[in-house]
Amino acid sequence: AATAAPVVPKKEDKTVEFFRHLYRQRTTSIADASKEVHPAVLALGLQMGNYTICGSCARLVAMLQAFKSVIEAYTTPPGNSLTRHLTSHVLSPQIDYLASCRPISISMGNAIRWLKLEISKVDVDTPEAEAKKDLCGAIDVFLQERVTYADKLIAKKAAGKIKDGDVIMTYAKSSVVQRTLLRAFSKGKRFKVIVVDSRPLHEGKHLAAALVNLGMDVQYCLLNGLVHVIQNVTKVLLGAHAMMSNGRLFARVGTAIVAMEANEADKPVIVLCETIKFTERVALDSIVHNEIAPADELVTPGGPLTNWEDMKKLQICNMMYDVTPAEYLHMIVTESGNVPPTAVPVLHRMGNESG
Amino acid sequence: MTPTQKGYAPNLTVFKKSLKAASVETSIENLISLLKRRQIKNSRPCAMATAELLRIVVARDRWTDLGKLIAHIQDVGRRLVEAQPRELAVGNIVRRVLGMIRDEGNEDRKNEGSDSGSATGSPQLEFSIPAPTTTKRPPSSSLRFASTDGVHFTEDRPTTRPPLMTSHTSYAVANNVPVQQSMFNLLSATGSPNLTPSGANSPHGDSTPHPFALSEKMINSTKDLRAEVVNGIEEILDELEQVDDQIAAYALEHIHSNEVILTHSSSVTVYKFLLKAADKRKFTVIIAESYPNDHEETHLAVMGKMKDPESEEEDKETYLKSLQAAGITVILVTDASIFAIMSRVNKVILATHAVIANGGLVAAAGARIIARAAKAHRTPVIVLSGVYKLSPEHPFEFESLIEYGDPGSIVGYEDGTLVEKMEVDNPLYDYVPPDLVDLYITNLGSHAPSYLYRIVADHYKPEDVNFNNPELLF
Repeated sequence: AATAAPVVPKKEDKTVEFFRHLYRQRTTSIADASKEVHPAVLALGLQMGNYTICGSCARLVAMLQAFKSVIEAYTTPPGNSLTRHLTSHVLSPQIDYLASCRPISISMGNAIRWLKLEISKVDVDTPEAEAKKDLCGAIDVFLQERVTYADKLIAKKAAGKIKDGDVIMTYAKSSVVQRTLLRAFSKGKRFKVIVVDSRPLHEGKHLAAALVNLGMDVQYCLLNGLVHVIQNVTKVLLGAHAMMSNGRLFARVGTAIVAMEANEADKPVIVLCETIKFTERVALDSIVHNEIAPADELVTPGGPLTNWEDMKKLQICNMMYDVTPAEYLHMIVTESGNVPPTAVPVLHRMGNESG
Repeated sequence: MTPTQKGYAPNLTVFKKSLKAASVETSIENLISLLKRRQIKNSRPCAMATAELLRIVVARDRWTDLGKLIAHIQDVGRRLVEAQPRELAVGNIVRRVLGMIRDEGNEDRKNEGSDSGSATGSPQLEFSIPAPTTTKRPPSSSLRFASTDGVHFTEDRPTTRPPLMTSHTSYAVANNVPVQQSMFNLLSATGSPNLTPSGANSPHGDSTPHPFALSEKMINSTKDLRAEVVNGIEEILDELEQVDDQIAAYALEHIHSNEVILTHSSSVTVYKFLLKAADKRKFTVIIAESYPNDHEETHLAVMGKMKDPESEEEDKETYLKSLQAAGITVILVTDASIFAIMSRVNKVILATHAVIANGGLVAAAGARIIARAAKAHRTPVIVLSGVYKLSPEHPFEFESLIEYGDPGSIVGYEDGTLVEKMEVDNPLYDYVPPDLVDLYITNLGSHAPSYLYRIVADHYKPEDVNFNNPELLF
């Protein structure tokens, strides 16, 4: 039957040459998902793919919650042990499916590594029900320690740095930056927030809307207005996707521009980042490691770019992250303390050894 | 760049047509309102409209002596600049025309004065005089060194009007005497303060002819002068039409094969430059879309629908050849990706809105972050600009040059109550300081940013620089 398919003229390769190693076909429906994938994970994959669940932390939490359902629904087949079977035969297909919807974030990678280690540590003689309960409990503790309390602590520390009359600039949307601003505001601090944003996700608009609804003084601009407002700024707070071991910040594309201009205008740049986002990987540029989103996300419906694929030699590049050089960053606020960017590998090692 | 909507909205073409029928005063008012309503915008259309209008003013207005003409042009220029103070090209064209009228006056005077016998005036003698500033000039200006006698530079005519110069060089050459001071006093009706350097005092007192005899002769020669000035303005218009092609002629000197070039927004100047280079070389162009003010045009441009500004028929749209058809791979990226992608870029090419005398430039918003990111990556930044965009103005408060656009294109009413609750900024332009630019390419050649003040000085006379009292505007 496959041979009967009509011969389609060979399509032009629309991938950008120096990002070619990063292109992945994205799964956008559950039609071809393998049958091992748990329904909770199926739903989560689609939500991640269309950015309903977006942001490094939100995706991490949602993934571990979904894995809890996977573990709860798991029964060890006869002749196998949970320790040997769960990771390779049950967890792996879930992870593969999630990765096919949207590439796994660095914090998710860290959590998966931790979970696999936990599973491998389960004693073979432990009854299945008890082992499952222990694992779910461990996930809860992990989430609380590494995300919930970490966020609270970071927000508390960072909010303490906001003074009355400050003008805080932030880029796009970071949950921990939002939490920090809300906390400072609820403590009675009166300050102004400038939200810088960019196409195509316009995440900053959601942050601005949330702040405005609380009655905060918010100014909103896109990257084209950045250099005109930066002179009045007193502090720049940035969220992170990951902190690299060479002290560089891996975050939503455009962050590097904000940090660069802030550095040029002598404004302090403070990164708020949980240690779960630290990685031993290093990055020198934004090209070796990145995520390329589908180019069609940049096409406005009915706009001039409709049918851009028919235009020969035209490529559209929609990358998700960029790497900010360490010299643009003044401080990283983590739940284990405020550190300079050079201390990232140290904290990462400490976190891993104690965990 | 040009308005995308068809129909009968007034624009440059409509304005040009209206010039034929309307009276001079109506045309002036018409242009003022077009500028105020931004129905003519961007530097080139504004420059063209100004030149067209001044041509009508010179040709139709009843003027008897140059002093009155200069005063009238200054007045018209002032009103145009007040209508849209951030279009520096308008003021530049007015200054060019003023300078040209003064030159014509000078030559006329010299012509009249030559019968009073100046012994110094022979071309051979002139060429033997060393010209100290010649070496600093662009190579294309060899014609002008005839008038460069080292006394002071303001006698120079714009290099871009070679035909006019050749027809008159003999006069300028005929006299080594800087007559500007005497001329100025003669022409200015109001006895304004002397702007000429004191060093310009004429060493040959007898070469200044008697004023009464002169003005009498001048009335007779008004007709010739009128023709000369109108010719001069037409040459400025020609220059405005050819400037992009002239700049493009330098393309092959600056682009090597297999290069990755970054640019942003949709500039015809940059577009033609790249097309010219594509004749001989293969390379990649990355275009940042310049959201939210110019992204529609940029998207049209990458889709091969860049409008050709030379086509005058408004009912038929003609497009420039697309970059892709010329063999260039085009990559469209968002503005946020600029820093990320800069590590792969070999050269940045920017278009400008205006260039100011310190070597800084005003360009579409986003230019500054591109230039800054290029600096961070040690990537050279090239700026393409016609000489008509070079302004002698030098505001110290750069924010005054920035025009702000419609915030509705950032947060619209589809976002609900957000619109009224927060402050939204949408600047149209960025100021890029000169230290972020490595090279300027104008229709006269390539220059370092630090050299621009000399080109400015070549094109405008010092007494015209502040014709509009800029401190009243900002």
